[in-house]
Amino acid sequence: MTQRGTPRSGYQTNWSNTNNENIALPLKVGVGRAHAHHGEFLQGVFEGDDGRLYRGLVTLPLTSQESLATFWPDERDGIRTRPANRTKAARAAALTLEHIGIAGGGGELTIESPILIGHGYGSSTADVIASIRAVAAAAGVTLRQSTVARLAVTAEGASDAIAYSDQALLFAHREGRAIEHFGGEFPPLLVVGFRDGSGRPIDTLRMRRARYDSEEIGVFRVLRGLAYRSIKQQDPRLLGRVATMSALISQRHLPKASFSAVLDIARDHDACGVQVAHSGTLIGILLDAVAPGAAKRAAELAKKVGGVGFKGIHTFAVNAEARIIQ
Amino acid sequence: MTAGVDYLRAYETPRFAQLAPNLTAACFSLMKLMPARFMVDRAEASGRLEREGHIIETTSGTFGLAIALLAAVRGYGLTLVTASSLVDLKLKRRLEHLGAKVVAIDDPQGDGNQRGRLQYLQKTLQDNPDTYWPRQYDSPENRLAYARLADLVVRSLGRVDCLVGCVGTGGSLCGTGGFLREIFPDLRIIAVDTHRSMLFGQPVGRRMLRGLGNSVLPDNVRHEMIDDIHWVGALPAYAMAHGLFRDQGLFMGPTSGAAALVAAWFARKNPEASTLVIMPDEGHRHSDTAYNPEWLANLKDWPISIPGEPTSLERIRPAGETAWTRFPWNRQTLGSVLAEFDGSLREDR
Repeated sequence: MTQRGTPRSGYQTNWSNTNNENIALPLKVGVGRAHAHHGEFLQGVFEGDDGRLYRGLVTLPLTSQESLATFWPDERDGIRTRPANRTKAARAAALTLEHIGIAGGGGELTIESPILIGHGYGSSTADVIASIRAVAAAAGVTLRQSTVARLAVTAEGASDAIAYSDQALLFAHREGRAIEHFGGEFPPLLVVGFRDGSGRPIDTLRMRRARYDSEEIGVFRVLRGLAYRSIKQQDPRLLGRVATMSALISQRHLPKASFSAVLDIARDHDACGVQVAHSGTLIGILLDAVAPGAAKRAAELAKKVGGVGFKGIHTFAVNAEARIIQ
Repeated sequence: MTAGVDYLRAYETPRFAQLAPNLTAACFSLMKLMPARFMVDRAEASGRLEREGHIIETTSGTFGLAIALLAAVRGYGLTLVTASSLVDLKLKRRLEHLGAKVVAIDDPQGDGNQRGRLQYLQKTLQDNPDTYWPRQYDSPENRLAYARLADLVVRSLGRVDCLVGCVGTGGSLCGTGGFLREIFPDLRIIAVDTHRSMLFGQPVGRRMLRGLGNSVLPDNVRHEMIDDIHWVGALPAYAMAHGLFRDQGLFMGPTSGAAALVAAWFARKNPEASTLVIMPDEGHRHSDTAYNPEWLANLKDWPISIPGEPTSLERIRPAGETAWTRFPWNRQTLGSVLAEFDGSLREDR
């Protein structure tokens, strides 16, 4: 996810590898992957440990779609990308080289990704994170997830929690760090995902930031608590409630025309809730993946949603073993 | 300073006690720290309260203690305005230890003289316009502060079906209840008041149970959120507080006893409902009274056993200190309930 962020004042050296162990050159060819997401379970403003408020989100991972980055180190300076002009990915690769202590390294970065741009699938962050991982792999280094996240934010101004893969956490997407680790995996869900009727891509960089009032910030606090509970108890219903409430607040800031119709459909099918991409067009109906007949119900829902005219319908699982009927 | 902030944050955090399989109590040492800290934090952030600034509030109870702790830790001056009839000497001493100035306004009528206290406060504000007045009765921040309690509740319990709590300013019950109901729209909210408090339409009179009820109406009381109202007299509140201590090891104040009495009854009648009760403070302040056998022995009608169920009222009216009454409020406004009972209420006055 890319939102307008405060431009960072360059790469901050206090994150870097101060051991400065010399990495043996030449680098190998390195490959990195990062998956997409399907918007958020929760997005809002949350209190950090220091008592200050931070914008944060809980990302809904979509692991079936991946960006694949390959880094081909060479003797020339700078990072070239294919396709050309992937400047954020190039910046991320350069920052990663610097972080692992390779000064003045360069190479070619190839990015192959089927992830659609501009709907809230996190295509840009997936490219950036795959690039960071590719460079790290080229140097034979495994980076901590928190390091990957911070490099990503430095490269693109704001990021999402994809660096943490499918771990459940509340992530400050402008600072690039966790506000709270929920300490587990998401409860088992089936998601019937699709795009809002208008379906026009959104330029997230041009989006105005939502300004939340005190009441909403209070609700976010409680939703964060409920997200924690849902993960601790592996309760998909509670997480569905979190997502629906967060989406309802999002409606006041980036309204999706079809949202109330989707809520009705979700209710009719006894879904756990509805989530959205808070800076995209995606909507997902959440089902308890371990409830009897969940896969069948997901298929019915997908049919219903298609019948109403939604596009890009795609059912996927989160932390579930269910066989999906597309 | 930071240590103080962290300590007070821990101090305001309730412990959860399971009183029955479907009944949990949020037990506070000093609940009012939660709104007090929230309000002072916000006042600092917005510039309403400057470094080494001064705070003023009208209070006769634990909100004063909470704000005095904060003022002491963070280096603010503090004036607390109370009424001569309400001064609790031990509390006053604690407040003064913390550096607070306690002003007791004459109170010939013995009703707390809220008007006189507010006049004094307004005059002080006029003379010292930089002074910060938290306004716990009317500031929405008093309710907003309880998002923290709602957060703690859902972390511990998940879904909640019924919330029971005392009403004084309305902050804790309407704040916590408001946030919980956003998430669980079917949440039932039961308010606990005492006889001769005006909050839910009773004629004002002398109240023996302090720390809940009111003789003025704060903006933070949101009547249209309340499903049921119970009025608990002092004696059943004391008896229930004793019971909590004896049976559960919970040494709580009489208002907690009143809330627990109502919550335990509801939980017994609704075994499927997950019920939460808010218990605002501990018993220490009441060791000379509600926990003192000699003091209790002088009370008319003491001892009483813990009553099993309330008397349902068809119209709102006051009752004796041994009584426990209830009325289905049904999320109405005070105005609409009063209009319904207009004639009959007047007769009682």
